[in-house]
Amino acid sequence: MQAESKNIIMQGLWHSNPVFRQVLGICSTLAVTNLVLNTTVMCLALLFTLSLSALTVSILRRLTPRNIRMMVETLIIAFYVIIVDVVLKAYWPDMSRSLGPYVGLIITNCIVMGRCEAYANANPPGRAFLDGLFNALGYSFVLLIIATFREVMGMGTFMGMALPYFSGPHWDKWIIMVMPPGAFFMLAIVTWVFRSIGLPKE
Amino acid sequence: MREKKWFPVVYMFLATAFFSSVVIGFTRLTRNRVAANEALALERAVVHVWPQTRAKAANAAMVHQLFVEQATLPDEATGGAYTLRRHQGGTVAAYALPIAGQGFWAPIKGVIGIAADRKTITGIAFYEQNETPGLGAEIAQVPFCRQFEGKVMAPGQTPIRIRRPTVHLSENEVHAVTGATQTCTRLERIICQALQQWQEQMAYRVHKKDNEQVP
Repeated sequence: MQAESKNIIMQGLWHSNPVFRQVLGICSTLAVTNLVLNTTVMCLALLFTLSLSALTVSILRRLTPRNIRMMVETLIIAFYVIIVDVVLKAYWPDMSRSLGPYVGLIITNCIVMGRCEAYANANPPGRAFLDGLFNALGYSFVLLIIATFREVMGMGTFMGMALPYFSGPHWDKWIIMVMPPGAFFMLAIVTWVFRSIGLPKE
Repeated sequence: MREKKWFPVVYMFLATAFFSSVVIGFTRLTRNRVAANEALALERAVVHVWPQTRAKAANAAMVHQLFVEQATLPDEATGGAYTLRRHQGGTVAAYALPIAGQGFWAPIKGVIGIAADRKTITGIAFYEQNETPGLGAEIAQVPFCRQFEGKVMAPGQTPIRIRRPTVHLSENEVHAVTGATQTCTRLERIICQALQQWQEQMAYRVHKKDNEQVP
């Protein structure tokens, strides 16, 4: 069991990382990574949705008829996403406005449906939850790296706080980093670097 | 039982009913809070465009209290603007005109403050925008908004102009945000349309009032 858990953790975080290995969830990777705070909230929302959706799909897997399983999975994912959306609207309205439609779009995030369909549907609840959790963490750490570079180089701030060198006159802010092309460049660089690190082990 | 033809239909129906019920219940629980947050965003914008109330609005409770006590809701006589009265039922000390329109990415909604002379801008605040963070979204930040304070509307179709950051400004102009040309162009259009429409409505009301006074 311990070796199995370790394998699930390593698959989610590195060997089958949803962003730099499988290139999934790219819409939100490109859209919300220009501010670290927005990215953190988006990652927490995905972590909540993915781990609990995987758990619920796994609990219901013996009962759900095969021919309607994808409809049921979408229903479960939408349920958790709406809960996150309502919580943000009620308790953190500024963040809800800032993230705009991207919280709602977690429903269509390929990682969530992919893990439910590929893993949770055929595995017990504990393992499905762990798989969802670590795939979400794998997604999160890549997004946070991209967001850190984009915010620091593009705006001279980190989590909204001005950084000594980057917000000063010596650093000419790279405006392209907070624009959509900046996200493409960063994603390509991160994918290249992480895949290069992984190559000798394969 | 899973092999029965009716089972998927019943299963889907029951699953949908269960998850929908929880969502509906949760939404109802937070409904008042969500509505209050939406109302508070507008109230904060109104209170922030008037210098008389801006300094006192330290937290959400103060914003709401100031709005309830000092702002008068818009009507035909004020051209759709909120008003700040000198005392209960007294003369108008300032107007707060709601503005709205399409930004670069999403709608921009805000409020522009106008002094009793109907020409001087007292402030501008935005309560809804989804422009590019770090670029277009800077329109909602203090440095950009503060530029509007004390500006005087020009007659004609462009009461307020948003100019390139390097040019010298006249009394109805403010500097644009660097790298946010599209947002600033759209914002100028939104502001000018709202101000022009409001000026026309107010002029019409003055004209109508004058005619009524003639025997």
